[in-house]
Amino acid sequence: MKVKKLFALALSAVMVLGLAACGDSAANTSTSDSGAATADAGTVTDKTQALNVCLASEPATLDPALNSSVDGATLCLHLFSGLAKWEEDASGNLVIVPDCATELPEGVPNADGTVTYTYTLKDGLKWSDGQDVKAGDFVFAWNRAAGTDLAADYGYMFELVKGYDEIWQSKETGEKDADGNPVMEFVNPDAKLAVEAPDDKTLVVTCTTAVSYWNELLAFPAYFPVREDVVANESWATDPSTYVGNGAYTMTKWDHNSLITLTKNDQYVEADKVTMPQINFFLSDDANNMLTNFKNGDWQLIDDVPTNEIASLKNEYPDAFKVTGQLGTYYVCWNINEDILPADSGLEGAEAEAARQDIRNAISLLFDRNYICESVAQGGQVPASSFVAMGLTDADGKEFYQNAGHNDGFAGYYNVAPEALQDNFNAAVETLKKYYTYDEASGKFTNVPALVYLYNTSEGHKAIAEYLQSALAGIGITMNLENQEWNTFLDTRKAGNFSVARNGWLGDYNDPISFLDMWTSQSGNNDCQFGKGANEKTQAYSLDLTDLGYETKVENGTWAETYDVIIADIKSCTDTNTRYELMHRAEDLLMSTGCICPLYYYTDLYMQDPELQGYFSSPLGYKYFMYCHY
Amino acid sequence: MNPKTLKYILKRIILAVFTIWVVITLTFFIMHAVPGGPFVGEKAVTPQVQQAMEAKYGLDKPLFQQYLTYLNDVCHLRFGPSLKQRGRMVIDIITDGLKTSAKLGVIAAAIATVMGVILGSFAALRRNTLLDRIIMVITTAFVSMPSFIMGSLLLVTFTVRMHVFPANGSTAAGLILPVITLMLYPMSYITRLTRSSMLDVLGQDYIRTAKAKGVSRVNVIFKHALKNALIPVITYLGPELAYITTGSLVVEQIFAVPGIGRAFVNSITNRDYTLIMGTTIVLSTFIVIMNLVSDIMYKVVDPRINLE
Repeated sequence: MKVKKLFALALSAVMVLGLAACGDSAANTSTSDSGAATADAGTVTDKTQALNVCLASEPATLDPALNSSVDGATLCLHLFSGLAKWEEDASGNLVIVPDCATELPEGVPNADGTVTYTYTLKDGLKWSDGQDVKAGDFVFAWNRAAGTDLAADYGYMFELVKGYDEIWQSKETGEKDADGNPVMEFVNPDAKLAVEAPDDKTLVVTCTTAVSYWNELLAFPAYFPVREDVVANESWATDPSTYVGNGAYTMTKWDHNSLITLTKNDQYVEADKVTMPQINFFLSDDANNMLTNFKNGDWQLIDDVPTNEIASLKNEYPDAFKVTGQLGTYYVCWNINEDILPADSGLEGAEAEAARQDIRNAISLLFDRNYICESVAQGGQVPASSFVAMGLTDADGKEFYQNAGHNDGFAGYYNVAPEALQDNFNAAVETLKKYYTYDEASGKFTNVPALVYLYNTSEGHKAIAEYLQSALAGIGITMNLENQEWNTFLDTRKAGNFSVARNGWLGDYNDPISFLDMWTSQSGNNDCQFGKGANEKTQAYSLDLTDLGYETKVENGTWAETYDVIIADIKSCTDTNTRYELMHRAEDLLMSTGCICPLYYYTDLYMQDPELQGYFSSPLGYKYFMYCHY
Repeated sequence: MNPKTLKYILKRIILAVFTIWVVITLTFFIMHAVPGGPFVGEKAVTPQVQQAMEAKYGLDKPLFQQYLTYLNDVCHLRFGPSLKQRGRMVIDIITDGLKTSAKLGVIAAAIATVMGVILGSFAALRRNTLLDRIIMVITTAFVSMPSFIMGSLLLVTFTVRMHVFPANGSTAAGLILPVITLMLYPMSYITRLTRSSMLDVLGQDYIRTAKAKGVSRVNVIFKHALKNALIPVITYLGPELAYITTGSLVVEQIFAVPGIGRAFVNSITNRDYTLIMGTTIVLSTFIVIMNLVSDIMYKVVDPRINLE
């Protein structure tokens, strides 16, 4: 008996030790990984010497070419420096200034319509391991970021650069994969971008066309340089010991899922301008957790707040609660192939589509966007009347959305002012009466097919969905709500298995084309299914560009014959005014379908220590902490 | 140890391996049947990029072939690269997570066991007194309260209102609340277990004999009573550790502790196939082993139990 008891004791000891051993061995590896770097980081508590911020949870990657998240981009632009960067000028305006380049020259047009830019690198540019930054590093980095081997989400940011189309040109091999889709192969496996380094200081790049946002692209993380021998190690960007950058900071610590510490890089060419010695990026996506740490004074800036706390935070922390614009639109999208006409309508083809456009546009007028922004979303959002978001500039320097819709007295495609609500409502009801039976006594339509509104599971989206549901119920339209988990939702929406769905889009750069080229019939972001399924053959769209010097004149054409054509024209257009006019026409065509019902323009909510100086963020939401001070 | 016990242990080990295989197979096919994928995002990638990525990670192969390849890899302890956190290996992510979760788990288990035995013995020795009643009421409350409610309550009270502890579980002080949340249930359970087992033992004839022979009270409690009363507690250690491991899925989420539980939950949202498989295998293996050990201990500490 005694032996057995001892055995039992030994077994339980093994269990506990087993667990403890896991901990120990793991702890040992991590110390050896981070090496000496750990010693000098993470211990600073004085906020003038180390800024504590929390933007989001662990970034999926900190490889500037692979990154596609806003928080990852923020980290990358502290760790790398590209040819250009964003800066705040003396009057507080955001401007693009040269970073690695000595200046940002205008392009030189070539005979074939392409444009060539020649950049000279500054003297004394160093990688964080002491080696010189060479023009060839940019050539390598850009080809890597745009190439098929890496297949980066943001590879298409290089589509302006000559050679990009050749790299991605593919053809069917004739075989089918496991799902029955044709297997494709790349036609030009050796193709490269038209970017060269005649010497270590000079970079020459040729673009297919000159666009106003080219310099902004140079400040985008995908355009940052990386060194060939560094990235040869596939896991280079996951550990401080192998992470080599050329930016204002070096990474000195990365406790995965917990903390990333950046320490000022004295080798950075403009190090004298960098005022914050250390930045600690805490990794968490829990808004309640962030808020608690902010209130405690542990963290000086947090990029998210719990939705249900917004109203009280505005009152309690008027100096700390901040709202800035963001290049994005929150909208409702319709599946263009969803039949919403009554069963006995008798309409077919283009006629039926014209009727559906009318109906969808009418329904867009029913919603009180001011109520959604002020009482539901509550984050300082701005009611939207166009798809291209607020914050994008037009050719005349005004905001693009202010010139959209060609309406007098209000910006965009409909008047979203509170006083216009009743008129909008009346107009909508009149339109709907043309197609559905209206019961005057109850003020309700009686034969509108029931709709299903799909959204991804979240309290915020749910609240908006419930408002939309009640607004439609008021005139007798039934809309059931269905929510799905995020990844499932994306799959369902992309495949077009929905009738109406919640949607949102954030632009990648300050040009309306980043809101417009996603709706071409072959685009993977074409959630409305324009030019797909039954809509592929529907000849309901007209386009006349003859007044702009183009030959395009289509009456009753398909989506591919109209929208796809105008987008191709925009991409090859070299005249700024014509290009912006084309973009307005593309948006006109898009909005005429009624498939897109914008609700509000996104804003970025964050809490910032009121004493913190020198902080700013770019239009894309990237945050700049290097010039922060107290 | 007799041959019958050995045979039983061997049989259980084979069964454990079989269980883990079933878990791997089910998880693999269910995971692939769920809509969405690792390369799906708000912004769709081009079909060419999607295809290039699938080819890179072998996701373009027929599903059954992928399954066989994966089984082979797992047999060689290769868990592959994460599909979402590019450049990181699944085994590194799991090791990082385990480091934190194990720290949390060991501390919680140790405190729960020690406190549970002490409280349980006190309650038994002071049976039907006010102290006993208080202990019983509190432990009943803790046993019936789910950890997500307990965790949220503690977070609101000590972090949001009183500012005693940080809200972020990645620091040492930040581990205090998650440890308390995790240990309350097993501690209360052990308290009740010890109390009833102690009362049972204290009523036995041999205790009365010992008392009659003039053995001191301390000796009766520690040498005779407690030693036997702890048998059920020892056998509970296996399920306790298993509970703490699975319980940490919720607790790590509430307190933002960068442990394996959080990695597991995030991997599912992200459809990070290799990470889902890796964490499932590690967690299920752990639970299977803990159950095996506790079953064996039942037999070892109490020969009256018939294992067959």
